[in-house]
Amino acid sequence: MLYTWCMNPTPAPDRTEPQVDRALVKGALRSFELNAWLAVTTATYLATLFLVRHHPEWSPEWKITLALTPILPGLLYLRNGLQLLRGLDELQRRIQFEGWMFAALGTVIFSAVVNVFNAHGLGGNWLPHGLGVGGTYLAMFILWCVGVTIANCRYR
Amino acid sequence: MNNRLRELRTELQWSQGELAERLGVSRQTINAIETEKYDPSLPLAFKIARLFDQPLERIFVPEA
Repeated sequence: MLYTWCMNPTPAPDRTEPQVDRALVKGALRSFELNAWLAVTTATYLATLFLVRHHPEWSPEWKITLALTPILPGLLYLRNGLQLLRGLDELQRRIQFEGWMFAALGTVIFSAVVNVFNAHGLGGNWLPHGLGVGGTYLAMFILWCVGVTIANCRYR
Repeated sequence: MNNRLRELRTELQWSQGELAERLGVSRQTINAIETEKYDPSLPLAFKIARLFDQPLERIFVPEA
């Protein structure tokens, strides 16, 4: 929901004539489609992971084929993401750019802080091996949401 | 950059959504331009000028 809002923020109300913003509805539908592909990709990945782990008797070729299956919905997710970006107008692109920059730089800074804390034995055993791949994705997603929200508030 | 977009739009009794549709942008963009929080790109500025049939410098005025 947060993701959908970030991609389709509600601008300040138009006092001239309150009406349904068609572009907003179109954008929400596109975002829903994108999220649906992400859900399919995640479900496929989890399913193949489960199958590969619980069937050690299967041939390596078959396991590799199965493990690569999530790439297909992943590519469709990527295609939808690019279509969504191409459909954005110049202000929305700028907002997305600011959001991505905020996420990228924020993650670098956060990761560096975690590493400094670990190097000096501070902060307990919170993240002993740094952010890791999952932590990096999560941090980027959270910071992207924050960045896009800040940018949207600025141009609201 | 100051602009007369809101004035021109209300003269024609268009809503922000209507203008956004005519220009092929989102209502958020129109709102941000009208409130002078965002300066449009040159292609969009020309599109606006063409739509209102006005020279660019009569719609967008640089701040003194």
